[in-house]
Amino acid sequence: VPQSSGLCGLYLLIRSLLETAGYVAIVYPQDPVLRMGSNLTASCWVHPELGVHANSLFWTLNGHQLPSSLYRVLSPTNLSVTLAGLNASRQTSGDNLVCHNHKGHILAGSCLYVGMPPEKPVNLTCWSRNTKDLTCSWAPGGKGETNISTLYKLKYKLRWYGTEKECEDYSHTQPYSCSITQDLHLFTPYEIWVEASNRLGRATSDVIILDILDVVTTDPPSGVTVSRLGQLEDQLSVRWEAPPALKDFLFKAKYQIRYRLEESQDWKVMNDVGNQTSCRLAGLRPGTVYFVQVRCNPVGIYGSRKAGIWSEWSHPTAASTPHSERLMSCDSKSSGDSNSTLRRELKQFLGWVKKHAYGCSSMSMKLYDQWRVDMQKSPKTRNQVGKHR
Amino acid sequence: MDPSHNLASERSSIESTYELTKYLEYQLKEIKDVYLTYLGPPFNEKDFSPPRPNSTALTLPSAATRLELWHGLENQARLAQNQRAYSILLAAVRELARSTLCPSLKTSLLHFCTGLDGLLGSISALMNSLGYSSPAQAAAGELQFPQRGTGSNRPAPLMSQSLKVEGFWILRELQSWLWRSAKDFNRLKKRLRASSLTRHRYY
Repeated sequence: VPQSSGLCGLYLLIRSLLETAGYVAIVYPQDPVLRMGSNLTASCWVHPELGVHANSLFWTLNGHQLPSSLYRVLSPTNLSVTLAGLNASRQTSGDNLVCHNHKGHILAGSCLYVGMPPEKPVNLTCWSRNTKDLTCSWAPGGKGETNISTLYKLKYKLRWYGTEKECEDYSHTQPYSCSITQDLHLFTPYEIWVEASNRLGRATSDVIILDILDVVTTDPPSGVTVSRLGQLEDQLSVRWEAPPALKDFLFKAKYQIRYRLEESQDWKVMNDVGNQTSCRLAGLRPGTVYFVQVRCNPVGIYGSRKAGIWSEWSHPTAASTPHSERLMSCDSKSSGDSNSTLRRELKQFLGWVKKHAYGCSSMSMKLYDQWRVDMQKSPKTRNQVGKHR
Repeated sequence: MDPSHNLASERSSIESTYELTKYLEYQLKEIKDVYLTYLGPPFNEKDFSPPRPNSTALTLPSAATRLELWHGLENQARLAQNQRAYSILLAAVRELARSTLCPSLKTSLLHFCTGLDGLLGSISALMNSLGYSSPAQAAAGELQFPQRGTGSNRPAPLMSQSLKVEGFWILRELQSWLWRSAKDFNRLKKRLRASSLTRHRYY
């Protein structure tokens, strides 16, 4: 039972709002912020001059009409609705609770913000791309905090000195991610954490301590080429270059190669490649197309004692081992004039396509070469291939 | 000054302004869908139509107008009406972007604003080249929403039902105006061609 004095005060407030501000009707409370599972009783006050009786009104929530069993006529100009066990808001702009007249016209409304206070953000991980930046990502700690607008701030400071700073470059493409791009100090540990806050509360993640040099990753190796070794049927030679950004610093870099048959999803990984920039794959099947990728780990960069973070795999490069029955060279140059004119024309065409046909940006000479490698397989294996990407 | 050369450049700038309104109309259709989904039902339901609010953001005249009035508009008045409408709408969409909590939607809306700004500039340039003064532009600067720019320092206003209804109507008015402007520029092109023919008869 509400206190009569409190209710009286509320009544006077609503009446004055209706009369002075020229409201036709008003829903109370206006734009409340509530915890999931809580209850709410809202009232729709209509201006007496509207000539509308409260029992002719109805409520909708997010476009759905609410059953009249939830309504109570508190006065001829006041209809209330009680919602129990509220679900988290359907959209962060708030649930639309609207009061209508008997014809369905909107009289007034209120935005309901239903969610939970945030929990400690979790899975905070950071990495540095070529020591030029520090990017961190995390995940919300709880459910329900994201149904109302929750702000996440990535904060950091140099461990033994320095003031607390806030990351400013939040990614628009990846939620819960931020990059620090200025003033990065090497050879000294950082303390990093995430603060989450919304209108129901706040929470702070655990602090992680790291040295930028221990979490360095880099670009995939460039210029990856796969070629035959003369007529050897079971071997291919893979060559690449150190990623350009760190080329002069990767004395102890480690590389990894993986390769697979075209039709298969099982990758074979070669781990002990060391810091060479070439490698020979052996024990392969003759007359078969292989896809090869290489990646790099900037181990020991600038004297760091820890392993870095593996780069992404390079774009797949395709090559085929020779087949003993066909001593065809896969060198397109020896295939005659018509092929080189075709190749030139195709290059021009692809250049034009890139400029004018926005949907075909993935077409390239590389793709064409891979297709040619594919066409070199025996007809039997070619027909066996399912979907060719 | 070669009158036929001037006419050709005016016609091409009217044509490019026309193309811009068609492009913005297309862009708006997509953004409107996303924005109404962000507001949540019933705003994104088919045939939904809340009453038009009386707020400051919507003091602009509606694009809807009686046919004979629209038909008979003098060139300067026609352009001035467009200029005034887009000045007000640009400021309104900027405010809409500021109060949007969803970051990707906010970015799309701000990007759309640069297009609207371009349209406004195009219309002003057209008015200048035709020798019409543009008093409306100076006034628009002092209209409601005096704070221009990204205004990222001010806290975003809390969303409320009345703000949602206002947002709904701003996008609806914008849609009507873009649809009408295309016809305005076509009409302008025809009128200029007719007046140049009369001009040429005397040479």
